[in-house]
Amino acid sequence: MSEEHKYCSVLEGKLALPYQYFAGRLGSRFIVSLRDAKKIFGVKCNSCGKVFVPPRRTCERCFENIENNVVELSDTGEVVNFTIVNYADRHLPRKPPFVLALIKLDGADTPLTHIVEGVEPGSVSNGMRVKAVFAEETTNCILDIDHFEPV
Amino acid sequence: MAEYYGTTVADIFKTQTERFRVEGAEGVDAVFAYDISGDGGGRWKVTVRDKKALTEKVDDGDLGDFSVKLSTDAETFVGISIGKVDGTEAFTGGKLRVEGDMALMGVLPRLFVKYTPPGGGVTAQDVIASLPERFRPDRAGDLEAAIGYDITGGGGGKWTAVVSGGKVTVEDGLRDDLSMKQTVSAKDFVDLVLGKLDPMVAIGGGRLRISGDMEVAAAVPKIFAKFEPKGAEKGPELIVLKKTISVDMRYATGPVMGRFLEALKEKKILANVCPECGRKQLPPREVCAVCRCRVDDFREVGPEGTIELLEHTYYASPDPLTGETRETPYGIIHVLLDGCSGTETLWHLIKPSDLGSAKVGDRVRPVWAEKRNGSIFDMLYFEKVD
Amino acid sequence: MTQKHKKNRNVGIIGIGQTIYSSHREDVNQPEMIHEAVEIALKDAGLTIDDIDCVVHGNMELFQMVQQPDCWHTIGTGAYGRDQFRLTTGGTTGATLVAASDNLVASGMYDIVLAIGFEKLQEGHTTGGITNMADPLWGRSLQTGALTGATAGEMIEEFGEDRAKRAAMRHRVIMDKHAVLNPNSHRSFGLEFEQIDDLMKNSPPLVGELRLIHMCSQSDGACAMIFACEEKAKELSDRPVWIRDHIAVHREETFTMFSSNKEMRPEITQRYAARKLFERNGIGNPVEYFDVFEMYDPSSWWGMDWLKNFMLLEGDEHLKMVEDGEIMIGGRLPVNPSGGVVAANPIGATAMARVAEAALQVRGDAGKHQVPGEVNHALASGFGGTFWTVMTMLEKNLDWQEDNNG
Repeated sequence: MSEEHKYCSVLEGKLALPYQYFAGRLGSRFIVSLRDAKKIFGVKCNSCGKVFVPPRRTCERCFENIENNVVELSDTGEVVNFTIVNYADRHLPRKPPFVLALIKLDGADTPLTHIVEGVEPGSVSNGMRVKAVFAEETTNCILDIDHFEPV
Repeated sequence: MAEYYGTTVADIFKTQTERFRVEGAEGVDAVFAYDISGDGGGRWKVTVRDKKALTEKVDDGDLGDFSVKLSTDAETFVGISIGKVDGTEAFTGGKLRVEGDMALMGVLPRLFVKYTPPGGGVTAQDVIASLPERFRPDRAGDLEAAIGYDITGGGGGKWTAVVSGGKVTVEDGLRDDLSMKQTVSAKDFVDLVLGKLDPMVAIGGGRLRISGDMEVAAAVPKIFAKFEPKGAEKGPELIVLKKTISVDMRYATGPVMGRFLEALKEKKILANVCPECGRKQLPPREVCAVCRCRVDDFREVGPEGTIELLEHTYYASPDPLTGETRETPYGIIHVLLDGCSGTETLWHLIKPSDLGSAKVGDRVRPVWAEKRNGSIFDMLYFEKVD
Repeated sequence: MTQKHKKNRNVGIIGIGQTIYSSHREDVNQPEMIHEAVEIALKDAGLTIDDIDCVVHGNMELFQMVQQPDCWHTIGTGAYGRDQFRLTTGGTTGATLVAASDNLVASGMYDIVLAIGFEKLQEGHTTGGITNMADPLWGRSLQTGALTGATAGEMIEEFGEDRAKRAAMRHRVIMDKHAVLNPNSHRSFGLEFEQIDDLMKNSPPLVGELRLIHMCSQSDGACAMIFACEEKAKELSDRPVWIRDHIAVHREETFTMFSSNKEMRPEITQRYAARKLFERNGIGNPVEYFDVFEMYDPSSWWGMDWLKNFMLLEGDEHLKMVEDGEIMIGGRLPVNPSGGVVAANPIGATAMARVAEAALQVRGDAGKHQVPGEVNHALASGFGGTFWTVMTMLEKNLDWQEDNNG
């Protein structure tokens, strides 16, 4: 067995290709609103009553077009679940340890995933009230909200 | 001076230097040459160097040195410049030709702000396309009519607006059964619509001709709301997130490819031989693809061989493993090495200086790298054996 | 002879939806674009999403760099709360989606299946993506996406340089003339036959004699189709298009094809697939049998060469078909009345669009690019990967059934 495997080796390489993602009309409006107006909005399905954030064009349950049913949301909400990220990776937005949380903004039915800062990771708890802090330098994505911090 | 889409080629170059973006010119040293044919065309050179731009018209003589040259007709050039014509499609369809360093085409948008023509870029097509939404059915009564638009010159076209059943639809071309027709140049048509040209002046000067039912002609200005040109921002901002996804990979070679790659360090090329059918596989594989039995018999082949296929490649494809783009043209070859007898050719490159003269049937041998570390490029490429 | 599939029941196409194919779809994200096609297909079938039992979703891996995109796409596909399958088989994906839907309905597992193929090539790097198909240990640094001039080189050797190049360009112009008539097509340049000489000389070469104008486009777009069992199809549609048979030949033979010794090469998959499919359906003369052929032609050279393989022709019969215009709308065997893949190529949807366009022809619904006369028998092909082939046969009437089918 070891005879066969004496030739085994590992070739290092990488997969590096340029991509672009189109946010679409509705997605663009959402980002522009975060970036310029510092406001967060969702969309409401009039059939099932759910308010989705980030907004999407179609309610997947009712299969209706809901993109024009804009609902302005508060920039404050509560943590419904969270995790403490303890490992480092260049693809992550922060160095460890940092907190990623599901935040249900007042007015929304779906939680938004974002970073919670300004508090010791060990002190974050479900039910905690947090408020959005918008970014000074914007990059045209969800990080135009820089993070959430406890109220 | 020939106008297209409400502007001229000369206008575009007149504003070239004032549209220059200094912040995009860091490290750029290039000469863009333009050879524009047709009415209103000409030849220009735009030099970007030391964070400055210089635009010159070349009337006589040679264009001289350039980094990249664009050749097209005047109408296509104006169309591309103002965004009415897709540059890539013009290039693919042969209407736009590019010589020299094509990569510079990607740099151009960084160097110059997009040109907007004086009329705000309103075209005859824009006006006519907006007819259905500008229609005022409350003012049209039960009018049924086919209104012909015969718009001449660059940026013109022929259309019929059909008023029927309280709606308006626009068709390409002029119907045979028109109620009335107006014939006018594209520039005059847009000026009339924007209120820059008086209709009486246009008719009196023979620039606007109206034929057919005069009652319908009189109704036209009443049944359509005034055309409002859109602002400089056409529509809402559309966000595009650009990312280069870079993921590190580690590929296990396994014992068979491992042995093949290891042998390259010693300047040996190994194939393996099937014990049942006797065919060779190169690179070697664990199992014979035909007989499905295990193959353990490794044999050295080559290093010399014969070219079976030669591909002149002009397209610079990026290597996804390194992100680098090869210099073009380059030649990909499939070589049947000595000792091989079937279709087990080796896939590799031909020496760049041999590309011009190499052909199928030529004898070649590998050129080995000084330092070899067990990769297919331990052979840099193959060269002709004279 | 291979076995025909034993179907428990026949399957009909009752809904077809295609988005416009374009390279300017910055206004929609991926699920929104898919949703456009789904809405069109549902409307065409007169159904709502609640009537769909199962969704089959597919595109090429890596192109949009979203892993398991079927999860994200439920907000557009209607798969929420339903059974869903995801298939990804390179360029043949669209056709494999049709084959899978056919199997799922024929088996009795589902009565009505929605299949969705899509791609948003502007969001990715097409050539880089395809190049990643090659073995990273020794092939990846050499592969140039799907570009090769090998077929052109061979045709030039066999038929003479001028004749071969002229015929390939003629094929290109014919495809463009068809594309002009198709409102969904991504590209139509308005090419004329008089331009052949100029294009032959001046279109920028990519690899060997494969020139830019010959090569397929890179498009964004989605295609959705709805399949129903015979009973439901007859109930819900007055013109269901029946799937008679399909064959998928996915072989990894590319790396053994490059010897100049043609006798040693394996039979090319297009011919192998066609031969098996026609043999088991008792079709002796495919050119006579079929009324229309939507072929997946990634380049004009392949489009021309594969005509010979798919139609089991010999000598220069295929060149003659191109030279004499027999492949044009109105000709003996119209090929790609939609304009084909050089006109629009949203890869994950492309092979399905071939079946969709063939079905539109059978229904008489193709509008300006409708082939004249009765279209009773249609053929569609899909291509991908290392020379994979999928072929689908469509019929207007259910009269091909043999006594012992199934």
